[in-house]
Amino acid sequence: MVDLATILAGLGDALTLTNILFVLSGVVLGQFVGAMPGSSQEMTIAIAIPFTLVLTPLSAIGFLIGVNKGGLVGGAIPAILINMPGTPDASATALDGHPMTQKGKPLKALKMALYSSVTGDTFSDLVLITVAAPLAVVALKMGPVEIFALIIMAFALISGLIGASVTKGIIATAFGLLISTVGLDPEHSTPRFLFGFPDLYSGFPISSVAIGSLAVSVIIARLATMSGGMRPALHIPRDQTPDQKRVSLAEYLACRFVLMRGALIGVGIGIVPGIGSTAAAFMSYASTKQAAKDPESFGKGDIRGIAATESANSAVGGASLIPLLTLGIPGSVSAALLIGAFLIHGLQPGPLLFEQQGRLVYGLFGAMLIANACNLVFGLVGLRLWARLITAPESIVFASGLVLCIVGVYLSTGGLFGVYVMLIFAALGMGMNALNYPVVIFVIAYFLGPRFELSLGQTATILRGDVTNLVNHPVAIVLLLMSAFSVYWLGIRPARAAREESPKTGG
Amino acid sequence: MKITRILKATACAIAVAMPGAALADWQPDGPITLQVGFGAGGSTDTLARAVAAEMEDATGWDVIVENKPGGGGIAMFSQLVGKRPDGRTLGMGVTIPTLINLAERGETLPFKADSFDYLATVVVAPLAVVAPADAPYDTIEELVDYSKENGGALVGFDGGEMRLMMQAINNTEDAGFELVSYQSGAEIIQGLLGGQLQAGWGAGAHIQYVDSGDLKMLAVATQTRQDYSSETTSFIEQGFPYSAEPYFYFAAPKGLEPEAREALAAALDAAITSEALTQLVGNVMQTTPTNLGAEGTEAKLVNGLTEITSLIEAAGN
Repeated sequence: MVDLATILAGLGDALTLTNILFVLSGVVLGQFVGAMPGSSQEMTIAIAIPFTLVLTPLSAIGFLIGVNKGGLVGGAIPAILINMPGTPDASATALDGHPMTQKGKPLKALKMALYSSVTGDTFSDLVLITVAAPLAVVALKMGPVEIFALIIMAFALISGLIGASVTKGIIATAFGLLISTVGLDPEHSTPRFLFGFPDLYSGFPISSVAIGSLAVSVIIARLATMSGGMRPALHIPRDQTPDQKRVSLAEYLACRFVLMRGALIGVGIGIVPGIGSTAAAFMSYASTKQAAKDPESFGKGDIRGIAATESANSAVGGASLIPLLTLGIPGSVSAALLIGAFLIHGLQPGPLLFEQQGRLVYGLFGAMLIANACNLVFGLVGLRLWARLITAPESIVFASGLVLCIVGVYLSTGGLFGVYVMLIFAALGMGMNALNYPVVIFVIAYFLGPRFELSLGQTATILRGDVTNLVNHPVAIVLLLMSAFSVYWLGIRPARAAREESPKTGG
Repeated sequence: MKITRILKATACAIAVAMPGAALADWQPDGPITLQVGFGAGGSTDTLARAVAAEMEDATGWDVIVENKPGGGGIAMFSQLVGKRPDGRTLGMGVTIPTLINLAERGETLPFKADSFDYLATVVVAPLAVVAPADAPYDTIEELVDYSKENGGALVGFDGGEMRLMMQAINNTEDAGFELVSYQSGAEIIQGLLGGQLQAGWGAGAHIQYVDSGDLKMLAVATQTRQDYSSETTSFIEQGFPYSAEPYFYFAAPKGLEPEAREALAAALDAAITSEALTQLVGNVMQTTPTNLGAEGTEAKLVNGLTEITSLIEAAGN
């Protein structure tokens, strides 16, 4: 399809000093905004796109790719250090990352997150570069019915994370789905639950809901329990052995199956548009927990938990470019922004892309691999800086975090309305935390809700309202059977085991 | 940065040298805010930012782009209508989503079609119905026949006007089209190439698939034929009296001073017809910029309402 000379020319283009500098500055900026509470790489890409108009196409796209990849690494930092995930993906990392910090091993957790993220990302990029064409055919066959079944499966896998009370988990899920119905219905564009606010036409802004319920709720709770003193937000014991600060090769290799599973889940989710990295991170976490011999160690600072989530959410990135480049279908929010940038710079995704723009595409692939290397190198430097920064007094760290969240949401939603929504969801998140409802499950349900509703409508039309027509969609049937199995395996069986065990322990 | 400064200086010099050009009698007394009714990064936003940048370079005004997404522009226009008509707040939206909302639930909206001073259009989306290249039908009528013989045909859409036109044909021809809602034109193409749909609507993204021979055109939805496929007939030519021409347009709150409206329309026109915009519109929309001017845009919106209302009646909802 593309001859070797074009491939080499493209990769060579990526290796010029100018391009490497742009990719590196993208990565640095991405890690910074990813780590800052309230800002995200998506927002940064949206703001940066017009500024890249003056660059050459490859420098511009390399820079934006760098921002995106840097943001994936940066997002884990506040989640691990202060349990304040800026994105729902990172909230999966916080499940085990923050307990590790509390055990005095923040640097180890951060490094594992970085290594896992770069591993998943590189694997995904290699899949994109080598087998994009056959996988694009797979993506084509994933129609609305199959996507609907896949969303059901995501819900089924995540049900394993619901926690102690199944009832509370179901309430949180249902509430998330209910909130996601605010705005226009996907079938006839009829406004629902607006209560006279035209701002709600496109629903509650995603960033307001996520940042409010996940990050601001934690900040306010911490501010409320503060007692005047100048305690550091993060205490790192001084007399740490090197083993507590670094990830040894043996520890990394011990996670190889976890990393591989995460990367495969990420790639699988990435090539199917519309599911997103959050679901991938939680699916990987849930299945790793279930496959472990000691599932009870998860949530208490198990390094495999970090490996599972970070490898999966980063692996979505490269794979989501497969439907993007071959079909022009964005698989995630940042992919949707990148497609806009591609178009501006004359890179037209679609069937003729490799023929007409082969050199630029391979330049892009080269830039992606360079970005991964930059992520690793700069990440190791940056993690120390962040960990040091967070040792500032907590009254400063959390108060400035709150300001940054407000500014970030103001920018990404274009006004104060989004900030009010964020504060409402912060209160809601605090209430849910206090009453032990799983906030994360609520946010995932909210994220998947619109896609779920749309595919449900599409599926009903395609099956013409008759469930027996599913026989024409074998892939969907397999996915639905796997979902039923996962609900039993992850949800019902452990719950029953817990019930049978409790009389013995006298609980 | 240096280049922009030189460009700005050159533009000012040219403007000073040519009395009566864009820098006529009116000047905004501060930065202009251009509100976009769609999210950052999409095609509407991209076009708006490019127009704003061209305007800044040519006039020296500050133009700030803000995104106010929601309801296909409804959220933005609901707020724009209450702003002061001093020429410093403009909005960019798309005609058909606005008109459908006005026709279907105008009484609940804080604005009417005549609540704005219209300034310019940028481009019209080249709407068309396409099908897989090997499909056994080449026109809408043949698709209707195919649908009747096979107990229905699945047609993908991602906009209200597309649904209305197909429902209208269902009503008059008893075609039995099953309409599948999608989020974007790209996903409709995926459905067509993946064999899940028998036909689908395209708004520009389909053109390169027609060029590559993967898809074929059944009909264009514009009133006249489209340049990229001049042999494809329109719905009207094929005997279905419906059309849809979504224009991307600029408006300001009603009550602009005539000089302000003239100056803004002239500045927008210069930006829209610039070389940079032509190239960008080619990349993003696969077509060329079309500016109907202030009066033409107003006519599109005001007359468009009756057209959409009759289409809604034909569709039976």
